[in-house]
Amino acid sequence: MNKQSITQYYRKHRKAIVTATSGLLYGGGWSLGYLTSFDTASAAILVLATIVGGYDIAKTAYHEVTNRTLGIKTLVTLAAVGAVVIGEYWEAAAVVFLFSLGSYLEGRTMRKTRTALQELLEMAPDTATVRRDGELQEVPAREVEEGEVVVVKPGGKIPVDGTVVDGESAVNQAPVTGESAPVHKADGGEVYAGTVNQEGALGIRTTGAGSDTTLERIIRRVEEAQEAQSPTESLIDRFAKYYTPAVIVLAIGAYAVTQNEILSLTLLVIGCPGALVIGPPVSIVSAIGNAARSGVLMKGGEHLERAGKIDLVAFDKTGTLTKGETTVADIEGFGVDVGEVLTLAATAEKKSEHHLADAIVDAAREQPTAATDGGATVAQADDTDAGRQSVPDPDEFDVVAGKGVIAHADGHEVVVGNRALLDDREIDVPSRVGDYVHDREERGETVVHVVRDGDIIGAISLRDEVRESAPGVVAALQGAGIETVMLTGDNERTAAAVAEEVGIDEYRAELLPEDKQSVIEAYQADGHVVAMVGDGINDAPSLATADVGIAMGAAGTDTAIETADMALMADDLKRIPYAVKLSKATRWNVLENVGLAVLTVTVLLAGVLTSYVTLASGMLVHEASVLLVILNGMRLLRY
Amino acid sequence: MSDTTQFRVLDFDCPTCASTVERALSNVGGVQHVEVHYATGRVEIEYDDGVADPDAFAEAIENQGYTPQSA
Repeated sequence: MNKQSITQYYRKHRKAIVTATSGLLYGGGWSLGYLTSFDTASAAILVLATIVGGYDIAKTAYHEVTNRTLGIKTLVTLAAVGAVVIGEYWEAAAVVFLFSLGSYLEGRTMRKTRTALQELLEMAPDTATVRRDGELQEVPAREVEEGEVVVVKPGGKIPVDGTVVDGESAVNQAPVTGESAPVHKADGGEVYAGTVNQEGALGIRTTGAGSDTTLERIIRRVEEAQEAQSPTESLIDRFAKYYTPAVIVLAIGAYAVTQNEILSLTLLVIGCPGALVIGPPVSIVSAIGNAARSGVLMKGGEHLERAGKIDLVAFDKTGTLTKGETTVADIEGFGVDVGEVLTLAATAEKKSEHHLADAIVDAAREQPTAATDGGATVAQADDTDAGRQSVPDPDEFDVVAGKGVIAHADGHEVVVGNRALLDDREIDVPSRVGDYVHDREERGETVVHVVRDGDIIGAISLRDEVRESAPGVVAALQGAGIETVMLTGDNERTAAAVAEEVGIDEYRAELLPEDKQSVIEAYQADGHVVAMVGDGINDAPSLATADVGIAMGAAGTDTAIETADMALMADDLKRIPYAVKLSKATRWNVLENVGLAVLTVTVLLAGVLTSYVTLASGMLVHEASVLLVILNGMRLLRY
Repeated sequence: MSDTTQFRVLDFDCPTCASTVERALSNVGGVQHVEVHYATGRVEIEYDDGVADPDAFAEAIENQGYTPQSA
């Protein structure tokens, strides 16, 4: 090793070397004093051990004092200097050595927590293969321009965010969404930097590279979340500010009363606010880091602490408990051909953006033959794909929120909507229509009536399949002692059928969007801590009202991440019991750590006042409690 | 003009240590705003690039006994 590399090695491992040297000197000095009568030599070696181990501590203490941030190192330095002054060399060396050893181990263990996210960032490759000037070129991933096409071989990691323009493959999105099962991607599919292309080669048109990728954005948000102080942390921080000066005053007071130097110096050592200030941040950082790796973005310690108290989870039905892919299940004509019913309904609904409207319009386009017999117009070849029917535009069109649409087409007034809309317009519902609707709703389907010029000519029944994971998720929450509620705009019977299929405790049906908020407020008024699960866009107001708003499928949508307290990157309901349990575990973990810290200080204080605990043993217990608290917090990394 | 740089310090061993580094960095000439986070070890410095010498940042951190890494 040449001189330069020795210097480098020393700089890198300074803490370890200093701690080891001071430890060896301490051991040597102590043995010499214990086994022989060379007391002066022993004292000299112990003082040397104190200086070697204490130099860096004293230097930082000096900075603490000049910056007026009195901290633990000031206390330790005072104690060590004091011990040397009164001739307790062994105690001085022991305090310094144990403190250095403790800090070294604390720094090392904290490093693991701090690098947990770095591993995620390293998932994204540094270089990308780009098609430029008709050739494939290898360039740094950060320099890929928006719009350029990147080629990723099977087994390769995707270097940019983008859309698939060539090929198809299965992509493992675990680093971004936490889903372990690969997702099929073909033309037009969105892919994220850091995910792994498993099967076929993909051509990807870049939408974001470098720091402008979903992965980087997630990591930045996770870090902000980890840095945001939870209420417990800020409370302890405020407390710690006054704590250290108070300990110094206490030590001086104790000396004035007892004239016992050891006692007052020991007070300085055990008064270090170690475990108390370190515990809560370690628990919270570990929990947020763990969640991030499982595709759950937690907004910060504050939200996490609140989530730990959740006792009721409200689910939006459509798109949350169900797949959100509504399809037409059945069409009934009342004296009119079903094709005509569908075409008329589709015309009326064409301009609506409601998911039921989309399903009706899609079904009309897929009709095998044109329904022409009833006067509904057909085929103004506008947006017709080959083999698909076109749906004519309505002449006039109005949405009645939460109820349906009223349109004019081809000289007729067409109303498509639920029972509430028919009642509003005083439209008579014959019993055969009522029977049909009743029957379909009991199967969990949603029925809309199709009305032409005041007469019900048909009904369309729509179905949105329940997610396979929903019953298991609801059961898991119930098993954890959490109440579950489903909120929906659907009618009573459909809601009841879906609620039964999912096994949910309670449901609230026929809610308008703003009603969902009031329902949540009512639960809160009853003393519940409520989490609301929704898609983060339509449900944004209720997510904001709930104590903890949980948005699903947030990977591509920044709005969802903004409004929610917790965002599930994937559309995976199974993350909800995990996130709720992790929050509860975190809350306990913080309490354990605070409890352990307070207990340690109390026991030590009693020990000091009864002279059972002196400098060295006080420091040993103190450092042990800090390490214990860190290790306890880090359990959450592996939750 | 104002510029921003980041470091990562993985060996903070206590929350007060982070505040000490924060104070030390704000005393470096030309530094406008400093954030040091104990939990993540992230150090963010906003400075006037006409006045401040970015090399002095790492030095200030090292002087407090911690190892800065560029991030």
